[in-house]
Amino acid sequence: MSNASLAVPSPRTAEPAALLNEDWLAVILGLVIFVSALAALVHVDLIGWVVNTSVWNNFGSALGPVSKSYSPLGGAGALLATYAALTIMLSAGAAALNTDVKRFALAFTAVFWIAYASWIVGNFANFAAVTPAEQQKFGISWSLKLTNEGAYIFALIAGLIIANFLPRFAAAIKDAVRPELYIKVAIVILGGFFAVTAAGKLNLASSLLLRGVAAIVEAYLIYWAVVYFVARKWFGFSREWAAPLASGISICGVSAAIAVGGAIRSRPVVPVLVSSLVVVFAVTEVLILPFVAQAFLSHEPMVAGAWMGLAVKTDGAAVAAGGITESLILAKNAAAGIHYQPGWILGTAATIKVFIDIFIGIWAFVLGYIWTNHIDVTPDSNKAKAREIWQRFPKFIIGFVVTFIVGLYLALGTPADVARNVPAAIGEANTFRVIFFILTFFSIGVLSNFRALWQEGFGKLVAVYVVSIFGFVVWVGLLISWIFFHGVTPPLAS
Amino acid sequence: MSHFSQADLHDELRAAPIEPLLPVEKKLIIWSLSIGLVLLAVLATVNHFFPVSV
Repeated sequence: MSNASLAVPSPRTAEPAALLNEDWLAVILGLVIFVSALAALVHVDLIGWVVNTSVWNNFGSALGPVSKSYSPLGGAGALLATYAALTIMLSAGAAALNTDVKRFALAFTAVFWIAYASWIVGNFANFAAVTPAEQQKFGISWSLKLTNEGAYIFALIAGLIIANFLPRFAAAIKDAVRPELYIKVAIVILGGFFAVTAAGKLNLASSLLLRGVAAIVEAYLIYWAVVYFVARKWFGFSREWAAPLASGISICGVSAAIAVGGAIRSRPVVPVLVSSLVVVFAVTEVLILPFVAQAFLSHEPMVAGAWMGLAVKTDGAAVAAGGITESLILAKNAAAGIHYQPGWILGTAATIKVFIDIFIGIWAFVLGYIWTNHIDVTPDSNKAKAREIWQRFPKFIIGFVVTFIVGLYLALGTPADVARNVPAAIGEANTFRVIFFILTFFSIGVLSNFRALWQEGFGKLVAVYVVSIFGFVVWVGLLISWIFFHGVTPPLAS
Repeated sequence: MSHFSQADLHDELRAAPIEPLLPVEKKLIIWSLSIGLVLLAVLATVNHFFPVSV
């Protein structure tokens, strides 16, 4: 690579003068969308204009506003309104992050239109139609049966093409290539959607939450120790490299690598490089594991969801993989006449990931304490402090919890005439969640310059990653998911 | 976007001297794995006796 650079999300600590950090911005944006959607409960439809894409074979029928009350807008109007609203909202966010607003808005324009165009293409009936009834409806004789959410893969591929074949363009739009921000907004909204899904089956939902504890044990205590040992003993990495590497591979990719890198006082470049590696391999996992799950785990949907949460690194890729897995498995079961309620597989993947995220700050503090007191002993002023736990806590999880609790209260604790409208109201917010997923997929693709990573010559880093992920993490994750979730199926759709 | 010297990091990774595992690192690995496996066994047992309620 000529300029020897790798594109990775900037560490949180790199934005000291900003009004907000990315986590708090995600909470605010997610809550604004969530609260706006809830206005529908008092018969004020604030965001019903957001664009929704259906599976199509006639382009005129592909797009439309999510709410019938905005149907005069038409598909093109809804798409323009969505673009305008997101550009304004995210540009305001960019200002709060101290990013150049004009450059962000221009870059976001390219990101939005390319990503959404990929989504529309992916919803073409020959790609997305699943059941024989759907094929008959569209008058087609064959389909790849990727489902409409399989169209995320199209956005990812569009990003990959840009990253690997149009590096100048990738650099030009980098200000709006923010997969971590987009997925965090999506996760905040997902809390409300998951609450509505869980409200009908509280026992199952609470069982699922409890099993999140197993994920924490596995990611932090088992994965981390093994990967650290492999990196240090088998590949001869120094402690400064091995700790962020083990954290990136075993816990939660970018966030964990950066948090642990900061905690053990490594040079900033170390977690940054590890993060770029994590993003590239997360893409590989997203492209492979959901299809493996569909082939072998369609009879164990919850195992598949938990597996995505445990095996795919970075929040964006893991939750996105959960979304694709859900659509693929639901489609396969639907073709066999079994119609599971949507939301459970995605909810399982997201819950597992959120549980793992919650403890990043604590784990970083534990390692920081050990490093600064026993390994790389530093003066008292530079030792790890308990307040770093809060500083490193991923704040967007607060947004997820808030929307989950509010959604659950509205679905279960309000009079029937209000509760009846909650799924539709939160469904409008969920349409935004889908759009943020699309932006996440595209952005992950744009950050995944395989050629650049290869040319950097960091074969040893890649080797540790391959050995750890495909030799250990993926299979142990599958085993643990099987132990805790086998035999559990989502409720049937009514 | 982060920029850094390719040559420096490449050389560092290739030529870094081996740092032997310190006793505290061995302890960290062993304790972490042991607690992890024990907790996993406990959770799996709990899961067996209190299966997921649907």
